[in-house]
Amino acid sequence: MSSNATRWALAGAATATAVGVGRAVLRRRRRHQPAREDGWYVVHRGITVDRPMDAVIGFWTDRERLDRGLGEWATLEQLDETRWRCVASDPAGGSTEWRAELTVDGPGRLSWRVTDGPTEQRGRVELTEAPQDRGTEIRTELRWRSGPARRVLGLAGGHDPDLALRSALRRIKSLIETGQVLDTRRDPSGRDPKQEPATDRVREKLMAGGRP
Amino acid sequence: MKALCWEGVGKLAVRDVPEPTIRSGGDIIVKVRASSVCGSDLHLINGYLPAMREGDILGHEFMGEVVETGPDVRRIKVGDRVVVGSVVACGGCWYCRTEQYSLCDNSNPQPVFTEKLWGHSPAGILGYSHAAGGYAGSHAEYIRVPFGDVGAFTVPDGVPDDSVVFASDAMPTGWMAADFCGLKGGEVVAVWGAGGVGQMAARSAQILGAERVIVIDRLPDRLATAAGRLGVETINYAETDVLEALRELTAGRGPDACIEAVGMEAHDVGPTYAYDKAKQSARLQSDRPTSVRQAIMACRKGGTVSIVGVYGGLVDKFPLGAAMNKALVLRMGQMHAQRYIPMLLDRIAVGEIDPGYLATHPMSLADGARGYEIFEQKQDGCLRTVLHPQAA
Repeated sequence: MSSNATRWALAGAATATAVGVGRAVLRRRRRHQPAREDGWYVVHRGITVDRPMDAVIGFWTDRERLDRGLGEWATLEQLDETRWRCVASDPAGGSTEWRAELTVDGPGRLSWRVTDGPTEQRGRVELTEAPQDRGTEIRTELRWRSGPARRVLGLAGGHDPDLALRSALRRIKSLIETGQVLDTRRDPSGRDPKQEPATDRVREKLMAGGRP
Repeated sequence: MKALCWEGVGKLAVRDVPEPTIRSGGDIIVKVRASSVCGSDLHLINGYLPAMREGDILGHEFMGEVVETGPDVRRIKVGDRVVVGSVVACGGCWYCRTEQYSLCDNSNPQPVFTEKLWGHSPAGILGYSHAAGGYAGSHAEYIRVPFGDVGAFTVPDGVPDDSVVFASDAMPTGWMAADFCGLKGGEVVAVWGAGGVGQMAARSAQILGAERVIVIDRLPDRLATAAGRLGVETINYAETDVLEALRELTAGRGPDACIEAVGMEAHDVGPTYAYDKAKQSARLQSDRPTSVRQAIMACRKGGTVSIVGVYGGLVDKFPLGAAMNKALVLRMGQMHAQRYIPMLLDRIAVGEIDPGYLATHPMSLADGARGYEIFEQKQDGCLRTVLHPQAA
């Protein structure tokens, strides 16, 4: 009889704990999700570059340096005074291509819209002066549409528009401040060539996204 | 080329590895002539600072000859004999502009790990695991140094390799530790750890105006070297109660500044140490903060505790109450190599500091694993093993 009561008490405690832990995990997950607005995922990311705003705008109009900033996944073509066309491999995964249109909205402001691609995406960039002579803040807003299943698949594969945005911001900062983006992949090591792919996967996890 | 590689926790081996090449405009390739072991390497070798991969080349405190420069390198020339700061700094971000080089924004290409662990990513460090950028280290015949114009400094003629090599890390770390203390002249400074960094910190504190420097360790030969070379007072913590001794030496006040040059694998005596060691071995805490606790307890009210020993993660039983109620100033950090190296080279050249005596065990690269063993076990009066990759 008493053993039955103990069993019930234990089961009760276990259930309460499980529910509590589950709720805490869910709450934490929700806090880490991008905001939702009318079916769009919305994230805001910013990075501070230690250069005056003119120098940062100069970077955006310097084709060669911008191409290096966009890396292997995008090329840029100017259409007219205020519009560019961007062709890129799909940052949300796969080898499909997407096209975007970039528009300069004013001094230090531009926006882009994906015109043809698997993920509907649009974003805005705004440059503001950072306080205390810290240079320029590059503030971005990225919106994309994606089903929950696709998003989970994308995250698992490391292909997330948010991650891509954060990596791009960091590359751009490094290019403006130093003229280069460091890479230590394939630095000399005593690893067997067969071990390198596993190390590369670790490195990519440590390179993708990050805080900005 | 030959290089000393990490092969798993506690295992090192010399391997044949590919030679480094110029990969960015600011890179230089240095032919390594002297490469010192460092106490912080032990944390990597023993697996307490995570993110090592099998095959990674160790070593971050070195000097050598420039054999190749990238197209954007202006200041450094092929043939220069240089010492290189172990911390990689870009020279172009806000932190570099304000001479806080070890906080550089752009020199860690793999910042995600430290951003998750510490909130932000500090600078990359050569040969210091994938958390610090995944750079190949200097225990090799050649090494690629990014931002060569920022990180490499030509060294004065006539200063031996095994002396100037310490301008790479041990000296700037020791100098920064003393710099943190804000000395105005006449202070009493206590230094925990009589290794390379601790001795350089003691010497720097003397130069910056400390009237008395007291060095604390458990190894009689290291304490004797410090007393003989630098003229400091010493306390052997294995024989003496450090807090009592420091109180007595300062007529009850406590030292004005306490420098901690030990790090996360600190030793001590007594039950607290056994408890810390057990917890760390079981990975229930990442760091043993024994000497930091002692420094905080010993420091005079309103004094400064300066921490340059390396810590990686979380500590247990941190006496925050003592620090708060005694209104202590806590300063800490990886050293800003590029800020201090030129000034330190001048001081070496005029003989004000001579770090050459730290190189007790010069060895060839092939003996690297043995060199680390001697260093870790502190055998044979070892202060530092210095590897010579060009020696047969």
